[in-house]
Amino acid sequence: MFTRTDDKITASQAAVFLNNSVLGAGILTLPRGVSEAVKTPDSWISILLSGVIVMLVILLMVKLSQQFPGQTVFQYAGRISGKFIGGLLCLLLAIYFVVLAGFEIRSLAEVTLFFLLEGTPIWAVIVPFIWAGTYLVCGGINSIARVFQIILPISIVVLLISYGVSLRLFNLDHLRPVLSDGIAPVLRGLKPTVLVYTGCEVTMTLVAFMQQPRQAVKAMLAGIGLPLCLYLLTVLVVIGGLSIDSAITSTWPTIDLIRSFEITGFFVERLEFPLMVIWLMQMFCNFCSFFFQASLGFSQIFRLKLKPVIFVMVPLIFLASMVPKSVGDVFALGDAIGNMGIALFILIPLLHSGIWLLRKKGVKQNG
Amino acid sequence: MVRRTVIVSLCLLFSVLTSGCWSSKEIEDLALYTGLALDVGEPAPVEKEFEEKGGTYSKQNKVVATVQVVPIKSASGSMDKKGGGGGGQQKPYSNVSGAGDSILEIFRQFSIRRDRPIIGHHLKVIIISAELLKRQTISQLMDFVMRDNDIRPSTMVYISQGTARDTLTSDQPNEIPSFHIMGMIRNQSRTSKVLSPVTLARLDALTYSKRSFVLQNLIKGDGEVEFSGAGIVKGDTGHWIGFLNQEDTECVAWLNNEGKAGAIKAYDSSGEPMTYEIKAMDSKITATADGGCISFSVKLSSEGRFIETWNDQDTSSSQEFADNAGRIFEAKLAKMMQALLGKLQNEYQCDAAGFGDKLAIQQPAVWKEVKDHWDEAFSKAKIEITYDLKITDFGSFTE
Repeated sequence: MFTRTDDKITASQAAVFLNNSVLGAGILTLPRGVSEAVKTPDSWISILLSGVIVMLVILLMVKLSQQFPGQTVFQYAGRISGKFIGGLLCLLLAIYFVVLAGFEIRSLAEVTLFFLLEGTPIWAVIVPFIWAGTYLVCGGINSIARVFQIILPISIVVLLISYGVSLRLFNLDHLRPVLSDGIAPVLRGLKPTVLVYTGCEVTMTLVAFMQQPRQAVKAMLAGIGLPLCLYLLTVLVVIGGLSIDSAITSTWPTIDLIRSFEITGFFVERLEFPLMVIWLMQMFCNFCSFFFQASLGFSQIFRLKLKPVIFVMVPLIFLASMVPKSVGDVFALGDAIGNMGIALFILIPLLHSGIWLLRKKGVKQNG
Repeated sequence: MVRRTVIVSLCLLFSVLTSGCWSSKEIEDLALYTGLALDVGEPAPVEKEFEEKGGTYSKQNKVVATVQVVPIKSASGSMDKKGGGGGGQQKPYSNVSGAGDSILEIFRQFSIRRDRPIIGHHLKVIIISAELLKRQTISQLMDFVMRDNDIRPSTMVYISQGTARDTLTSDQPNEIPSFHIMGMIRNQSRTSKVLSPVTLARLDALTYSKRSFVLQNLIKGDGEVEFSGAGIVKGDTGHWIGFLNQEDTECVAWLNNEGKAGAIKAYDSSGEPMTYEIKAMDSKITATADGGCISFSVKLSSEGRFIETWNDQDTSSSQEFADNAGRIFEAKLAKMMQALLGKLQNEYQCDAAGFGDKLAIQQPAVWKEVKDHWDEAFSKAKIEITYDLKITDFGSFTE
């Protein structure tokens, strides 16, 4: 009855899709990464600034994608920069999505093993998630978007409740002084904060799936706006509750904030368990989004059917997730992914928009 | 038919594969510890006996760790064998001590003595003896508990003037000392002699930033524990350097704006006691830096009730009387504050009352210069305090 044949998504579904592609494990480590770079309590300003930058990036991606209605970046890149270069860059992007999917599922496993399932072998956590992801991704973008729509409100409500209760530790003095060392520390914090927005590249394929691509700008900005607000809130609450000195030394500062208090008499004394369990679903969504993008990429680059490609992706993602040997390696991979993301941004949307603009001008002059 | 077989076999397969957790541990088979006490290393009598019989391993006995295990009343009903003080009544807890050099190694050593593995998910309080903190730094001692994934950052840390493991014993039947200590912070609404607990999360930040701070001090007397003042841990060394008495502790809480209530008792002109019940207390610290000279002006204000007097003549509730009494209380408060500042600035030369935080917020540029030798700079800083005590009422008593 609800099966749709056209496999298109509405504007709100697209927004949720982007949102779930960005919001993942990053929120658990963000306060540490930012504080390490900024070293003053001004990290929340960095978050705001980088959010604005990422919004501009997304705007550019949307504008570029709107030039090719119904086509994803894997299809139109070749039309702009030629089959070979475009194909190569798209291949890079698809590999990037595979690595990202592996990274997400690995962070999910690491945090689960550390706090929830000590003693369980790591593959026993990763493999079922990949299988469940495969099942979901086989359903196409529509089913994925609908799952995202169900999970997002739940995970956000639980996150907000956890933050709300943690306000008992909040001390405004931990966030002061503002801009004591001037603007320089804030700028230092830009790079690690831009990294938590990795995944926004899905914009370049999402627009193609939208029923009404004209609404893309609004949908995509809304899709990135929510993570921006949540990241800002996370940094404010964690730094305000723990102070930067504690956030820097903690591996998972956001979870440590929730672990720093007990609510005796509440129906759950320890909120980290509900938060972790719910946030697992969020990380699963995050992973599925990249899983889908990677399969889509490979199938469109090599003009293959989507379903077999999905199954080929399964071992690849598993391997990608098992490459880091330790938690340190996982975080190093995270940094590498961030750098890759920046490089890909320069190579794909920025370069291609430039070429496209030049070509259009050229066409006009000739014509 | 084939379809049905597939479904049935799938169901059977799932009932095998999806039943229960992979690494589940039954809570009845675990020993939860709720308290941890750290003392200087001298093996407990039990251990000495073990060692005489050859039960030892390579160690230098730097620390004695005592965990308070709370037995779960299970069907097997194996309550504790040790710690029973007679009267036939069994204690609801058991303390196990071990000496060694690494806290985790000591914990693992318990595993060859006990029937259930100990687990730290429900650790509530950690008590460190001052003597131990003189020899080892706070970050050395707390390193394991901060790294461990079972122990929560909400665990509270205390210091003990005497032997720390003694504070984890109790004469009361059916009372678990570690829960008792944890519950004592509820009295913060009654007196500011109870400091806001320093949790592991806070301790982490304090040790990382190398600031001096105070930890509530626990003393034990005749089967009861008491929060008595606070121990100072110096930031740059991480060692305990001295104690603040109960009145100093009240003042620290007031300066930090952490106090909620309390009482000030003074003697009136005829030597009779009278008491002021603090209903609201507030401190405002303004830091100024003039050249190399750092000075703080502190404004302490309070509202409260004239709650008790032993002078039969003092029955007035006039404004004049209130002003007069207020001045006497202010003088008492000033004496307490001066005593605290004298100790911090001259005797211990370390800022355990959070003046540095105020300077960092209000004068970030100056703070950057003095940050690395702040305790020294603090002892030279000028501190001026103004008092504003307001007696709002005289209780349910009027002339």
